[in-house]
Amino acid sequence: MTAIPDIRVVPRWRRSRAVLSVLGQLPLTGKIGLAILVFWLLVLITISVLPLPDPLAMAGRRLQPPSIEFWLGTDALGRDVFSRTLWGAVYTIPIAFAVVLSAVAIGSFMGAIAGYSGRWADSVIMRAADVTLSFPPILLAMTVAATLGPGLSNAAVAMVIVWWPIYARLMRAQVLEVRTREHVEAAIAGGAGRMRVLRVHILPLCWTPTLINATMDFGQVALLAASLSFIGLGASPPTPEWGSMISEGATRFYSWWIAMGPGLAILSIVLATSFLGDGLRDIFDRRSRT
Amino acid sequence: MLRYVIKRMITIPFLLLGVASVAFVLSQMTKGDPLAALLPERMMSNPEVVAAVKAEWGLDQPLPVRYGIYIGNLLQGDMGTSFTTRRPVAQDIAERLPATLELVIAAMIVGSSVGIGIGLLSARFKNSALDIGTRGFALLGSSVPIFWSGLIFLYIFTVRLDWAPGTGRLDARSTPPPDITGMYTIDALLSGQMTTFIEALSHLLLPALILGWTVTGIVARLVRSSLLDSLGQDYARTARAKGAPERVVLLNHALPNALIPVLTILGFTFAYLITGAVLTEAIFSWPGIGSYAVTASRSLDYPAIGGVTIVGATAFLLANLVTDIAYAWANPKIKVSQ
Amino acid sequence: MQHYGNLHGSFVRACVVGALSLGAIPATGEAQESKALVVGRAMDFNSLDPSRSFCDTCQIYLSSVYDTLVALGADNQSLQPGLAESWTVNDAQTEFEFTIRDGAKFADGTSVEASDVVWTFQRMKNLKGSPSFLMDGMISIEARDPRTVRISLESSNSEFLNKLSAPYAGIMNAEVAAAGGAIADETAAEQDQAENWFLSNSAGSGPFKLVSYSPEAELRLARNDEYWGEKPYFAEVVISQIQNAVGQAQALESGAIDVAMQVDADTAASIRSDDVTVEIVPSYNFLYIAFAPGAKGMADVLTPEVREALTLAINYDEMVEFTVGGNGAKQAAPIPNGFPGTANLPLREQNVEKAKQMLADAGFEDGLSIMAGYPNDNVYGVDINIMMQKVQQDLKAINVDLELRPLTYAVWREELYGDGLPMTGLYFAPDYYGAGQYPAYFAMMPGTTWLARSGLDDQETLVNPAAADLYKQALASSGDEAEAIYEKIGLEMMKDNMIIPMVSPNLVLAYRNDIKGVRYSACCNLPLAELTRD
Repeated sequence: MTAIPDIRVVPRWRRSRAVLSVLGQLPLTGKIGLAILVFWLLVLITISVLPLPDPLAMAGRRLQPPSIEFWLGTDALGRDVFSRTLWGAVYTIPIAFAVVLSAVAIGSFMGAIAGYSGRWADSVIMRAADVTLSFPPILLAMTVAATLGPGLSNAAVAMVIVWWPIYARLMRAQVLEVRTREHVEAAIAGGAGRMRVLRVHILPLCWTPTLINATMDFGQVALLAASLSFIGLGASPPTPEWGSMISEGATRFYSWWIAMGPGLAILSIVLATSFLGDGLRDIFDRRSRT
Repeated sequence: MLRYVIKRMITIPFLLLGVASVAFVLSQMTKGDPLAALLPERMMSNPEVVAAVKAEWGLDQPLPVRYGIYIGNLLQGDMGTSFTTRRPVAQDIAERLPATLELVIAAMIVGSSVGIGIGLLSARFKNSALDIGTRGFALLGSSVPIFWSGLIFLYIFTVRLDWAPGTGRLDARSTPPPDITGMYTIDALLSGQMTTFIEALSHLLLPALILGWTVTGIVARLVRSSLLDSLGQDYARTARAKGAPERVVLLNHALPNALIPVLTILGFTFAYLITGAVLTEAIFSWPGIGSYAVTASRSLDYPAIGGVTIVGATAFLLANLVTDIAYAWANPKIKVSQ
Repeated sequence: MQHYGNLHGSFVRACVVGALSLGAIPATGEAQESKALVVGRAMDFNSLDPSRSFCDTCQIYLSSVYDTLVALGADNQSLQPGLAESWTVNDAQTEFEFTIRDGAKFADGTSVEASDVVWTFQRMKNLKGSPSFLMDGMISIEARDPRTVRISLESSNSEFLNKLSAPYAGIMNAEVAAAGGAIADETAAEQDQAENWFLSNSAGSGPFKLVSYSPEAELRLARNDEYWGEKPYFAEVVISQIQNAVGQAQALESGAIDVAMQVDADTAASIRSDDVTVEIVPSYNFLYIAFAPGAKGMADVLTPEVREALTLAINYDEMVEFTVGGNGAKQAAPIPNGFPGTANLPLREQNVEKAKQMLADAGFEDGLSIMAGYPNDNVYGVDINIMMQKVQQDLKAINVDLELRPLTYAVWREELYGDGLPMTGLYFAPDYYGAGQYPAYFAMMPGTTWLARSGLDDQETLVNPAAADLYKQALASSGDEAEAIYEKIGLEMMKDNMIIPMVSPNLVLAYRNDIKGVRYSACCNLPLAELTRD
């Protein structure tokens, strides 16, 4: 699990500001990270038209080592591991995206309420977050996934449950800090409605740490999803999900190539998001100082 | 400071109660019927036997009563009986916990010492190829899926090169050392069994390296940045001005200060390692509570899942407490030294 | 690598030794002659209580620790005297009288007496555990004198002696087990609390006795010095938990273990060490798919015609190739090859055109979709996931969409009796040598497991009366006559199209070259007492 970065930022993030200029300021590693993610997005979009063998059908003899014909060899059912690896993006990336999005939405909502309204709502929400954060993440995810039964969607639910409190804490801390700023006090003094103050004057200033954190967590979510599948609590066969492919490879690891592709794929996503997240943090840190 | 610590400690029992309640609620929500785990198929149609088993396992009580019994039993250290091993969960966990602790502690030692080394190198040779290379190595460790790197390492080092022994804590034909702490390396040392010690250590090495690798990045990054910080401080400049070589400045002046923040994150890495240990144990057939949790969650063994969750959460909370205390203790110190 | 000098992991070990400056300490210091036999296995124990346990590793353990009255010979067919030195059977095969071997002793030195046999069998019956089916039909058992036991059955059973050779029917020391909390009378199913006791104690008269058991780590046995027969070569035997085939192969190559029998054929082919012998032998295990027309919404779908169409879609040759890399055999009926009555059964053949036609005739021109839920296990070298994915691929060719749901065993069983699983994939290993156990489990006749699992409330529609009649005849006859009847039963079971064997995987016996006497036993998997080291 990622640590919550301790960032107090005055965001200059406006929709009008060109996103490109931010990306242009990324350090080299950040650009590499971005490139990897763009690559996977392209794979995701074009996968059905790429000239790849059917990931579910037999393509050649079983357990063939990598060759010109099968770049990453074939698995125990004679399926092309390279094709299955690329197809794995179709499962992992949308799931990780959905999980991060849901966790951010739920967590930020809770955190904003807790930070803004205080009192009992704050206590209830933050105690729930405390209890959730008391579990070692993988144990909680395993328990929830086991309870709901195996399956990618259940694993996704489990991961949202693991992740929301992080965003709740993050958002709460931001809201608490921004709430005391002068312009907010002025708005309140000017008689603006409570919800309007929250929406217009506070929230827009609170997103930056959440965004950076979400970028980094994307890779961690993908990793946990694969871990759950590896244990047998996530995707079910014949889904070419990376974690379950590695688990298939684990039972035949003399045929090392079965696990090679999916392992590298997960690694690339985790690395890419941490590169990109780091880069973004640097940019915003620098801006906040100036 | 003391008040802060006491305040934190008071919250822990409440958090644990919350954890236990969540574990209980989850166990009641599951689809699987515990009877299926408890009874052979041909007995499920025998109402008397079913009733007897339900009574024996308390399954015939209403939900609130079961909750009360569950919490009451927990307070007495009774976590119920595992459906699969048919033994008290507390006993199972007590037997397996030392294996996990041994692995996690070894990984922590490996992870922090390699991390500090890398941090030192990359601070000393900032932005050199060495800096980039070692940082890359550390970053790789925290990004690589551990269940995959474990497999690859096993394949390379045991199957291909035959450098490391296979899975498990000892060779299959060896007998464990006398049970003192339950950690084989320490027990073997304490009882003077050098052969067993070497064997246990060589079995421990590969999983500990892989698990430790996951936290080297965190440690290295922190050491590097706080070293770079310290190197810019007055005392470092003074030392340099007095003609001390850079190496001396680094090791004698900057490092001690840089290690304080490292201390503060050890608790955090410990918590992080608990998570990694689950998967490492699964790969290396390490008979700790991580592999126990995996088996339990696959066979819907709720008492076991609940027990592991509670023990895991306790360790996690304690580790976080230590982190916070260390942080609170270290921060004023750092200010003083400035 | 050399003979077992234990050089494995030598590099790391050397580094460790070097780092500690303890170079003089030898990496291994055990005396060679005392070296224990180590078997690597994924242990699947559900219990160590003979009357409760039911698993493959249980067979190894029980047959080593608890002697049976009758033993299965090395030919895997004939019956030999065990604890009973002789027996008599009446013509109707309903009365059995056993004479206990003179001088047979339990591990605590007390003599094996008829009362122990009576107590053991009564407990097995009354405990209603998984193996209690062995005592089905027993109406009385009595000790006529300390060395004579008489058992009466309600109807003829030519397989009763075979059943008694099952390791679960090993004789317990009644006094010792009762002191551990075991109860044999009618209250056993509810009152017996001995299960925990059996986890750390044994009460048998076999060649070994239990020393210790730690779940998912190891099981230790020691030679029983009171054993009446030839004492085993090994003073100590360890079954060491090694979960997967690759781990077992690697441990064999390094010499960490002596014997493994769960290495799949693919992995066995990758073993490079010259110190390891790999023997591939046919097994009596098989994997199958089964249908449950009683599953929710399936009554009008899984009709006999549709079931037949589905079985015709499967490419059985490829199935053997995919599941075990060709190291296995096709099997016609749910009776393993080599068991009575199987020699002339016609193998199933793929016929996609006919399958399509039959589906169309049944009103499924546009295909249909079926769910298959199965335990997510790897057994006998076969990954059930892979097997089911092959079924899925084959069914796709006739436009049948198979949704796969790998489940943990507990959930699988829950669902089987809940809404039901239209299709499932499973495995079976014999409990003893004899064909009768198969119809008693698989055939569509009243009281069998798979009739119950079919999930239909109105099971009459599935029942095949011919099978039940034939089964009764088979139990009343013996020899060639029985064999001919079992063949007919096999044909009936094939006609039902409920249980479709997919593959009978070969068994890989992999062992260090210095181990002699490794063989596969139909009842007991691996007879530990027969193993020696050169």
